Amino acid sequence: MPDTADILRLESLQVHFPIQGGLFDRVLGRPAGAVRAVDGIDLNIGRGEIVALVGESGSGKTTVGRVITKLAQPTGGKLLFEGRDMTAERGSSALRPYRHRVQMIFQDAYQALNPRHTVFDIVAEPLRSLRLVKNNAQLTERVSEALAAAGLNPPDDFFARFPHELSGGQRQRVVIAGALAVRPELIVADEPVSMLDVSIRAQILQVLVDLRAKHSMALLFITHDLPLAWLIADRIAVLYLGKLVEIGTADEITFNPCHPYTVALRNATPQVGANAGRAELPALQGEVPSAARVPKGCRFHPRCPLAFDRCRQEEPPAIEVGPQHLSACWLAK
Amino acid sequence: MSESTVRYSPRGRARAIKGFLRQFLSYGSAQVGLVCLVFFLVVAAVPNILVGPLQTAINATGDFLVPPSGQHLLGTDEVGRDVLNLVVHGARISLMIALLSTVISLVVGTTIGMTAGYYGGRVDVWLMRLTDFFFVMPSFVLALVITPVVLEVMGRGGEILGFRPSLFVILVVIGMTSWAFVARIVRSQTLSLKERTFIDRARVVGSSNFNIMVRHILPNLVPQIAANGALVVAGAIYVETSLSFLGLGDPLQPSWGTLLSLAQRAGAASAGAWWYLGAPGVCVLTVSLSFVLIGNALDDTFNPRRRVIP
Repeated sequence: MPDTADILRLESLQVHFPIQGGLFDRVLGRPAGAVRAVDGIDLNIGRGEIVALVGESGSGKTTVGRVITKLAQPTGGKLLFEGRDMTAERGSSALRPYRHRVQMIFQDAYQALNPRHTVFDIVAEPLRSLRLVKNNAQLTERVSEALAAAGLNPPDDFFARFPHELSGGQRQRVVIAGALAVRPELIVADEPVSMLDVSIRAQILQVLVDLRAKHSMALLFITHDLPLAWLIADRIAVLYLGKLVEIGTADEITFNPCHPYTVALRNATPQVGANAGRAELPALQGEVPSAARVPKGCRFHPRCPLAFDRCRQEEPPAIEVGPQHLSACWLAK
Repeated sequence: MSESTVRYSPRGRARAIKGFLRQFLSYGSAQVGLVCLVFFLVVAAVPNILVGPLQTAINATGDFLVPPSGQHLLGTDEVGRDVLNLVVHGARISLMIALLSTVISLVVGTTIGMTAGYYGGRVDVWLMRLTDFFFVMPSFVLALVITPVVLEVMGRGGEILGFRPSLFVILVVIGMTSWAFVARIVRSQTLSLKERTFIDRARVVGSSNFNIMVRHILPNLVPQIAANGALVVAGAIYVETSLSFLGLGDPLQPSWGTLLSLAQRAGAASAGAWWYLGAPGVCVLTVSLSFVLIGNALDDTFNPRRRVIP
């Protein structure tokens, strides 16, 4: 699928949030630190490709999504959309063509919907603000189409409802419909199913997979759930503390992981039935370190069961371990 | 129920408004407040039909300081005017000033508070310093300073937008000194609203800052604005009454405060003319109380978690 040119490219993308030092620090001339939420990421997404971005909380995966949807401004690196540099573009009118093609699905559908707007107004908002329709008849048609595509049938029944009158799954469908209404080419889905009941998850995932099949829409699927990523994605990128540690096809990452962190993530997932085929690494100890104090060398070394001297001194580069499979580990080969 | 084509938002809105009213009207305080308020609004709307034109010393009908009787339900004043007539005409002036100054206060306060909260940074800092300035400005001193200037410039005669110059000053001064309170409340609410995910979503779907403020933040501020607006009216009535009592009112457009001032100067208290002082006094009390009741009921309706606090 990712044979055509990439639709989106991140080149050593960097998002550092400055830490406001106190007056005391400033007087003493201590340098203000920064939270290195995203610290140099290279990632490309092909047309119609589903890429999963996997990582623990605090790994910076949401920030990557916010940069792509222009909700956060990168402090370094580039955001290229179809080869065009979008890094510096700002302002709602300048971004209109971009917004038309890149949309987002949010994690908490209840929070993402204005409680005082009806479903119709919510789904119609992008069409109105991006000026994609000429009259009300067209608007109604596009809204119906989007609601139906998101699995809300019959669409008319939902027009006048408020978010609090919907179930959790329906709310998430409304969020999806709002993103679909503009017929985007790339959707960033930030944990779209993590707040939903397990029984609803499969349905929502099916909607997303269908969309790709029908409209060849690319999807950046942000999740903390490795099996889920394997289920839906073509490729998986594993993020740790603001840096990609491993990237490859979904099958490679899931069944042939090279980076100890990926292995640990996989082992952390409970499996129904036999636990055959598990690697013999112990479970991960401790928490993700603060992005304000990134460890020297490999950022995973304090928690890595295989760490040795070199890991504490030098940061490993991305090493090609197979076709389309990169791993940032000194032990990878 | 099952129409083939459901019209969009209006039906959802109408349903939401109906639900709100049902909840709001279930409060006893809201009922009492609304009944009082409607009564005074009707009185203020058609004073000439109820009690005839405003009486002056020339067309006064009664004797001096007559206690309430069948002919003069609320007695007469020191020049023989019917107190009921004065109070009914005063209702119009008092309510007009209170409501118009509240409109000024809400429009200015909401605009400044929302802009400061939404944009943050430098905009916030400067707008809030401005707000602080108006916050500490005493309405009494300001009115006492401005009134002579305006009278000097405008002359004692004439009207500004249908108000005698001194009343217009009172109106503007109340508006100017009460918006800071609204701005602070609106700003703090905006600060929390703008962190909500639906604002992020609005940005992703291409809404401009202006549209985000008007369509997303403002509707969610309505509860705070409405509940506090009612309290601002109550405060405005008090300030207007006090300023008029100090003599800033206008005898040709007497408000309740003006009447109290006249009564005090006529020595109504020592003369035992309780009706002269009492009638406008009770009116001021009733109207501001009913606005407070309505404000509290609005607050409870919009914010059910507060109900546990007595």
